[in-house]
Amino acid sequence: MLLTALLLAACGSSNTNSGDPIKSAGVLRVGTEGVYPPYSFHDAKQGGELAGYDVDVAKAVAEKLGVDVEFVETPWDAMFAALEADRFDIVANEVTISDERKQKYDLSEPYSISQGVIVTRKEDSTIKTLADLKGKRTAQNPTSNWAEIARDAGSEVESVDGFSQAITVLNDGRVDAVVNDSISVLAYQAEHPDAPIKVAVKLKERGDQAFAARKDSGLLPELNKALDELRAEGTLTKISEKYLDVDLSKAGPTSTWQLILDNLWPLARAAIEKTIPLTIISFVVGLVIALVVALARLSPNIVISGLARFYISIIRGTPLLVQLFIVFYALPQIGVKIDAFPAAVIAFSLNVGGYAAEIIRSAIQSIPKGQWEAAETIGLDYVGALRRIILPQATRVAVPPLSNTLISLVKDTSLASTILVTELFRTAQNVAAPTFEFFALYGTAALYYWIICLVLSFAQNRYERRLERYVAR
Amino acid sequence: MTNSKTEYRVSAKDVQKAFGDNRVLNGVSFDIAQGSATTIIGPSGSGKTTLLRALNALDVPDAGVVKVGDVELDFSKPASKDQLRRYRAQSGFVFQSHNLFPHKTVLENVIEGPVIAQKRPKDEAASEAVELLTQVGLAEKQDQYPFQLSGGQQQRVGIARALALKPKVVLFDEPTSALDPELVGEVLSVIRDLAVEGWTLVIVTHEIQFARQVSDQVLFTDRGVILEKGPPAEVIGNPKEERTRQFLDRILNPL
Repeated sequence: MLLTALLLAACGSSNTNSGDPIKSAGVLRVGTEGVYPPYSFHDAKQGGELAGYDVDVAKAVAEKLGVDVEFVETPWDAMFAALEADRFDIVANEVTISDERKQKYDLSEPYSISQGVIVTRKEDSTIKTLADLKGKRTAQNPTSNWAEIARDAGSEVESVDGFSQAITVLNDGRVDAVVNDSISVLAYQAEHPDAPIKVAVKLKERGDQAFAARKDSGLLPELNKALDELRAEGTLTKISEKYLDVDLSKAGPTSTWQLILDNLWPLARAAIEKTIPLTIISFVVGLVIALVVALARLSPNIVISGLARFYISIIRGTPLLVQLFIVFYALPQIGVKIDAFPAAVIAFSLNVGGYAAEIIRSAIQSIPKGQWEAAETIGLDYVGALRRIILPQATRVAVPPLSNTLISLVKDTSLASTILVTELFRTAQNVAAPTFEFFALYGTAALYYWIICLVLSFAQNRYERRLERYVAR
Repeated sequence: MTNSKTEYRVSAKDVQKAFGDNRVLNGVSFDIAQGSATTIIGPSGSGKTTLLRALNALDVPDAGVVKVGDVELDFSKPASKDQLRRYRAQSGFVFQSHNLFPHKTVLENVIEGPVIAQKRPKDEAASEAVELLTQVGLAEKQDQYPFQLSGGQQQRVGIARALALKPKVVLFDEPTSALDPELVGEVLSVIRDLAVEGWTLVIVTHEIQFARQVSDQVLFTDRGVILEKGPPAEVIGNPKEERTRQFLDRILNPL
């Protein structure tokens, strides 16, 4: 049953393609989920580093080709969009070979096979065959081959973001079954011997998993040759033994408190290295945009003020998540490719710019006309009056609402997790996925967000008091 | 101040200004001699404030030729920003509601123009500012914020701020109208001292007694024109026009 990597006979891929695109690029960029144990996850035994069967196979392939490997952690349902957007060269995430995928992507030779199973709660005896899924609720990644099997069997598929979430909603009784790969289920059972679930059905279907690249990428000859060599020298078997020989007898969960303690620093680091810089840079850039837009909005020129209105209307009238996806996934389709972190900065800055523009405009308008006139009579020009007289006073009016914007932004940065920025929330997800300790890790992340916002509120109070030194009380 | 030929600090010819359909200035001409004090009196809505603001281009006239200090502008042609800036730099302006900068201290208010707009050294501007504040009796308030001062003190800072620009003419727009009655005297006495010192002043006011005592020339405006002008003994003491008499009568005998 503990079926592992498939040692296929070499298919003798003809190496007639000219050039070695991976070797000449010098780096192999690999998209993987990072939350799908034991294939792609952050392994506590390896210091929380990205690891797993697919990850190690991809590393071995890169080593064979003599190039560096670079992993881009991507949610499964965004994986192919990110591949098309040239965020990485190949997907290494148990991509099951299917006719439909063969038509759309370059698929390598298989490097593992899997067996599908249907998991139910222990006491549930109504599901004995695949056909019994008809009318039942299952939890699946909507774009996975397992979802397709469940859907074809007539079940009602609830969308979730990954295997760990699927199993959790099954535990909670929110769905009746989960269709997935047998080894992931075993890995989960090893970690959680008391979980109230069982493998109810072993499916006849077996899937072959392969690397996926963009159609006509020209990468297949190199990938296949490397896989052949790894298979021949036994490396694939060694990797599969490391991750896929799940031994239920030596299983045991780590304590929740230990887990939290172990992850206090990694989560704090994600906050310090990603969440906080993302917030600060986006806010500062956003304020500059907002000031320009606010002044444009106040311009007597109808075209300029109309453009500013249009910008504000677009930003406020569309969801931030959609703005992020447009910058990150859609722009590459028209040739504009921006890395994850700067893409997040752009989307958040534009968003802050739209909202803060209206705050700044109303703050400027709240300053009496006499202040502009007085500035004029002492010889200041428009810019001088704005900088020296109007904005310092408008700041006092704008600080409370702008603080709201900033505090919202801190929390909104968690959306960057959906465009591959490993910020605080994403880090918590990475740790929670293999351990299934959602409460502990999301709770810790929430605590960190709260602390950041507390500090900001405190700073806001002090700043407001400083600005009020010239106001009669 | 030679006797042979009077030197004018302001010369206005046929100044016109309308706000929409409302013709506020309907061809106004006058001259103001160097070192003289001119008061503008007249009913509300007669155009006296607009006339004063035209001298600083706070309201830009639609037509007319105006010379203030060394700069002459023909407002029938569009003026460039730079021309307006140079024109405006000839005069200092004291507002009815002072319009001090609330986020700056008294001293910072006074040196803002000299240091930022005129790019003069800060030390020099500050020591001059302290002199001016001493002159208006507020040297000890230099580090306070405007909200900490009384209305009369605020207006005296407003005057010091205008003087710090070393203008050729100082314009006052109803400088005491927003003040409590007991604070009016301290502001008027500062203005009177300036007149004595030889500053060229143009003052829009309702204080008829003050106008009579201080000014060398009185302009009486009515419906967008100057109906009567001359020394206060004539315009206030012995007005020729019926409307001037009615106005003065209403002011001096309100009941």
